Amino acid sequence: METGYLAFAMVMQFADAFAFLVLAACGLAIVFGMMGIVNLAHGEFIMCGAYVTVAAVHAGVPLPLAIAIGAIASALAGMVVEFACIRHLYGRPLDSIVLTWGISLVVTQTTLITLGSNMPSIGTPYGSFAVGPYSYSVYRLVLFGSALAVLAGLYIVFNWTRFGIAARATMQVPHMAAASGLDTRRIYSWTFAIGAGLAGLAGGLYAPTMTLVPTMGTSFMTEAFVTVVVGGADVILGTAPAAAILAIIKAGMTYWKGQLFGQIGLLIAVIVVIRILPKGISGFLTRQ
Amino acid sequence: MTMNAVRRFFSLIEGPQTIGHGRPFWLGFALVVAVALVFPAFADGYTVGNTVYFLNSVFIALGLCLIWGYVGVLSFGQTAFFGIAGYSYAVLTINVGTAYGFTFAALALSVLAAALFATILGYFLFFSRINGVFLGIVTLSVTLVLERFMAQTSGPEWKIGTARLNGTNGINTMPPLTLPWSGGDFVFYPDPPLYYLVLALLLIVYLCLRILLNSRFGNVLVAIRENPERAEMLGYDIRKYQLGAFVIGAALAGLSGALYTAWGQYITPSSMGMTAAALPIVWVAVGGRSDITAAAIGTFIVLAVFQALTIYGNQYALVVMGALLVLTVLFMPDGLILSGAAKLGRITQTLRHRRSL
Amino acid sequence: MALLEIQGLSKHFGGLHVTADVDFTLDAGELHCLIGPNGAGKSTFFRLILGVVSPDRGKIVLAGKDITRLKPFQRVHEGMSVKFQVPGIFKTLSVSQNLQTALQHNCDADALAGKIAEMLDFLGLAAEARSPAGNLSHGQKQWLEIGMAVCLKPRLLLLDEPTAGMSPKETEATGELVKSLNAQGVTVLVVEHDMAFVRQVAQRVTVMHLGRIFAQGTVEEVMADSRVEAIYLGRSHA
Repeated sequence: METGYLAFAMVMQFADAFAFLVLAACGLAIVFGMMGIVNLAHGEFIMCGAYVTVAAVHAGVPLPLAIAIGAIASALAGMVVEFACIRHLYGRPLDSIVLTWGISLVVTQTTLITLGSNMPSIGTPYGSFAVGPYSYSVYRLVLFGSALAVLAGLYIVFNWTRFGIAARATMQVPHMAAASGLDTRRIYSWTFAIGAGLAGLAGGLYAPTMTLVPTMGTSFMTEAFVTVVVGGADVILGTAPAAAILAIIKAGMTYWKGQLFGQIGLLIAVIVVIRILPKGISGFLTRQ
Repeated sequence: MTMNAVRRFFSLIEGPQTIGHGRPFWLGFALVVAVALVFPAFADGYTVGNTVYFLNSVFIALGLCLIWGYVGVLSFGQTAFFGIAGYSYAVLTINVGTAYGFTFAALALSVLAAALFATILGYFLFFSRINGVFLGIVTLSVTLVLERFMAQTSGPEWKIGTARLNGTNGINTMPPLTLPWSGGDFVFYPDPPLYYLVLALLLIVYLCLRILLNSRFGNVLVAIRENPERAEMLGYDIRKYQLGAFVIGAALAGLSGALYTAWGQYITPSSMGMTAAALPIVWVAVGGRSDITAAAIGTFIVLAVFQALTIYGNQYALVVMGALLVLTVLFMPDGLILSGAAKLGRITQTLRHRRSL
Repeated sequence: MALLEIQGLSKHFGGLHVTADVDFTLDAGELHCLIGPNGAGKSTFFRLILGVVSPDRGKIVLAGKDITRLKPFQRVHEGMSVKFQVPGIFKTLSVSQNLQTALQHNCDADALAGKIAEMLDFLGLAAEARSPAGNLSHGQKQWLEIGMAVCLKPRLLLLDEPTAGMSPKETEATGELVKSLNAQGVTVLVVEHDMAFVRQVAQRVTVMHLGRIFAQGTVEEVMADSRVEAIYLGRSHA
């Protein structure tokens, strides 16, 4: 019985890590996969989602709706950034990355100036349940479920909808897609907005569990980066398996040595993985 | 024969890979050096100390310019090397002390530590043929994790020898650079002595980099940036060249970090954080990443603007830095100095043209 | 005396055998053209020789040394040199710096300037020596890259469609350039589409089709072969 409880605790640890990696990374992975841009302001979109969610909750909106509002707010912010900046740098992905860092700096510091160094947080909802001697917050299951739902949603969008198929065509052969009448600009614009929206969703979902500070996005960045590097350019074939593998490493290391060593483990795993699979897992799975 | 070789070596100080040649440039250069030499006589102690901080920062900018501008490798983790060297200097000097001029050995060892770390990291990255974007992310991740690692070392169990790491508070008990002297130790405080030391180091590094970049090595670096496949099929093992430049860049970042620690006698984890890591990018991008002179001048100017703005608050200054980076990338991808110089060149050319008509 | 010997070279991507069990020999001093319709596997074969792609099976021997496992830059040290299809030059470097990058391997500093000047004359690019290579015309870029490839003093020079995008006049001049290099003792293997160019330069021709060697012989022999005509017109799937 005792080992059973312990095993369940390990599974929960894994589920936590998996959910965090998927939610932190999927927005970044979509933008990277489709546009070749690593959005260094990704953390700020997460922060935006979290802040809007918390503000909405304080205004009396129920949490699920507040999270949706947060995600939409981030998506809108993403659209604005794409329209004002990213759009002018297509074909210069490295410059776009540097630019997003500038945006990150501006947003973090502006938030600090206007909203102060932290925001009153909201508690974790839905109570807890116990398995044997260990007690777990129900919200952890909500996060895990959300991660699975996001993956399923992305699978559906990119395989079954017209937008998704057009987007994949654009990603694979941009000039062909443009020649065959697809409006690649609009696809990029939507892609960036979806990426930002997913970041906002992550922020909203984790808002009840974290202290809200303007630099909170940074605490998602390492995990998001690592998952995207290991996963490669494809969200479904890359991010999901990468998150699963990395979650085992992270959960194991966290269980053994604590949170930070979970992160260090991830980083070392990444550096070793790219030595073996330079194009990430999705590059390996779709190799010719 | 040897005279010839020596002359050729020094002739590399000018060349196609670096801006500035001929008498006007070197006269200007001499003028700048002369002003820098007499400057402490006309400035108060605080300003001189502050200028030392500026000069320190130029090292990390030059290193970043080398790998970003010349090799085309996005290294977002220069502050990791800065931090490693800074902490190394702290730990070494706290443990060993200042006897026999050890602080200078500690300075060298700290730079070496940063270079060694870069060699290991760079080996995994370049020998996996990681492309630009991923390299940027991995190096930035390394920096962020290092920051978080150092931030959690506040407990008493985190110490190396007698040096407590102190978590987010950082270390502030290390000695400054000290030279044993007949009439007692000669201590390099941020006033004139340290100023002259750093200025001399900077001049040496700058001139050596010019020679390096115009040498065969520099030629290959730029060739790799322009067309790695072609460079490889001319028989160059491009991974080794990229790694070499990466390690030199890291060593320069390390020099910055160790000197910074000796200068302010403190080092904290936030010197490696996301914001700290962004600043060298701003300096080099705004100055002009494709030339070391432009990057050095840019660093000085941007730092001066930054400090002028901090009187309104650090956050405001950082907002301006971020906006500056965005605007530079959007409107002046070659950087302020290089775009400005090009524009000036065009204007003088048109003027000359008009006059000749 | 064989300079390049290839035995049983195979490479497949997924289920597609793009190079299927190819045996190929190139004699020292030869000027050999490799032709074939689109998708014949020429470029993969070429990349296998360069070492950019590694084979599933087979062996590549250059001047008696097995180079199958060597990396591209190591093959260059063994005397191989290449000109890519897309002009592979260093755009922001000047024309003479481009040549310097190729020459500085095996040339001490005193002789470098002389060698560069010599090569500039040979390529007819002396007037452009100091301008950035990116400003050259397309044909000049191709010549510059051939010049860089030649600077390595290769035993084997590989040219991938050296006349792609050139005017007929430039094509002919390139042909003369290649012939004069061959006359100086360089063994040359050319992958080419332009049959006029092949007629101008080739001593022997190999036709590839569906990843295999389809025919081999002099230009006249190959041109007279009705099967070769058929695959070019897309009738045969032999």
